[in-house]
Amino acid sequence: MKKTALYEQHEQMQAKLVDFSGWKMPISYQSVLAEHHHVREKVGIFDVSHMGEFWIRGQGAQEYLQYLTINDVKKLQVGHGQYTAICNEQGGMIDDLILYKTGDQEYLACVNAANIDKDFKWFEKCADSFKHVELENASSLWSQIAVQGPNSQAAIMGILNSQDKERVLGLPYTHITDISFGGAVCKLARTGYTGEKGYELYLPNDVAAPCWNALLATEAQTQIKPIGLGARDTLRLESCYLLYGNDMDERVSPLEAGISWATNLKGEDDFCGKQALESQKSAGVSRKLFAVLFEEQGVPRKGMQVTKNGEDIGLITSGSVLPSAGGSGGLALLDANKASIGDMVLVNVRGKFKKAKLVKKPFYKAKTKD
Amino acid sequence: MDCPENLFYTKDHEWVTGQSGTVTVGVTAYAIEQLGDIVHVDLPDVGEEFHEGDSFGTIESTKTVSDLYMPGEAKVLEVNKLVANNPEEIQESPYDKGWLIKIQLSEPAKNLLNAGSYEGYIQED
Repeated sequence: MKKTALYEQHEQMQAKLVDFSGWKMPISYQSVLAEHHHVREKVGIFDVSHMGEFWIRGQGAQEYLQYLTINDVKKLQVGHGQYTAICNEQGGMIDDLILYKTGDQEYLACVNAANIDKDFKWFEKCADSFKHVELENASSLWSQIAVQGPNSQAAIMGILNSQDKERVLGLPYTHITDISFGGAVCKLARTGYTGEKGYELYLPNDVAAPCWNALLATEAQTQIKPIGLGARDTLRLESCYLLYGNDMDERVSPLEAGISWATNLKGEDDFCGKQALESQKSAGVSRKLFAVLFEEQGVPRKGMQVTKNGEDIGLITSGSVLPSAGGSGGLALLDANKASIGDMVLVNVRGKFKKAKLVKKPFYKAKTKD
Repeated sequence: MDCPENLFYTKDHEWVTGQSGTVTVGVTAYAIEQLGDIVHVDLPDVGEEFHEGDSFGTIESTKTVSDLYMPGEAKVLEVNKLVANNPEEIQESPYDKGWLIKIQLSEPAKNLLNAGSYEGYIQED
């Protein structure tokens, strides 16, 4: 089992540790629900060092990434990031990721932990037909700490030198900048996976623990607390952020997953999977991801069947209680011809059919741009 | 771990107020600690009959769903409506307000542990 550079910190804080795609990660430190509310109301830090980091460098990097990823890389200016995905030729999602332009000829891709090896092989395979592209899988060298919640800016300010402070104060949503910490050059992005205002710190492994401790030392001013992956999941689900392996995989297209806004179908440039997605679009997308809100007691979970008027229309892909939005709900991949927002459906919860409604996404309106 | 002396226990981490007659059933503080935040509980209808070891309902935390097992041959006399609507009561008060069901045991339950044996059992668990 792999351990992050912050493993000792989690042990000291008596976190409940679980296996998460080969990593020993904290699921919670005290209570998932308390931690969820703490992020919505104050600020929390998450160890997300299991996530992967790839560097893409060279003269040909932009052209290569424009083919590899589904969003429009040409729109990225230095210091900007974008949500995107990589697809196979059938238009199925290999992974979703954030791509940052960190230099004229340098990009950073942040990918899902469970997909690091698979993704890097795909990155390498696609690079074969491009010149002047250098790839580096730096996942084992970098740690990642997410700082999320209304007090996140105050917590970040508490660990920065005065030169960095001014730049970070004005950092817009999805942008990335260099900061120095403990003598190392680190990256700070105004991004997250909770629906709250927040930051994600990319740190060389040896400064991860000092940085974690320094962030926690701002507690008197910010009430910062460590948060486990359990609350990370309820927070992202309320904001209807997708979870790879649950809400989508290689059999689901970005159009079905509801991220056509990040899919560059209108542009002239080709990307891997574009042809398949174009035909899917012109034929009409047959499945779509819907938000399902329960109208009675019970909790939807991945794999539960959804029916409408007695007919099977699809499956729940993620489900949980919704601590801030209230009640419980989830995401479901449903037959697009049979499901519409506002519909009443039934969800088969271990043999009992529970009433639920298809509602507009998200359950909780994001405050990321506050 | 809190295991009141006056109760009996099952290896499935439930407590029972007696070995025969009309008894109350709930889940132990140890079980709650293992499960984490309780978000939902599914209980049977009054009048339903079960064999020992049957699943009579489920208890669900933020992450997992666990079956609840009947401690003996029994008929359900009453279910706790408070916890059906406020599952967090099970967590806050597992031995008092957080009880789950009242049952009539049709024969004495044979496989219950006393508090001392249960404490020994969870230390090995």
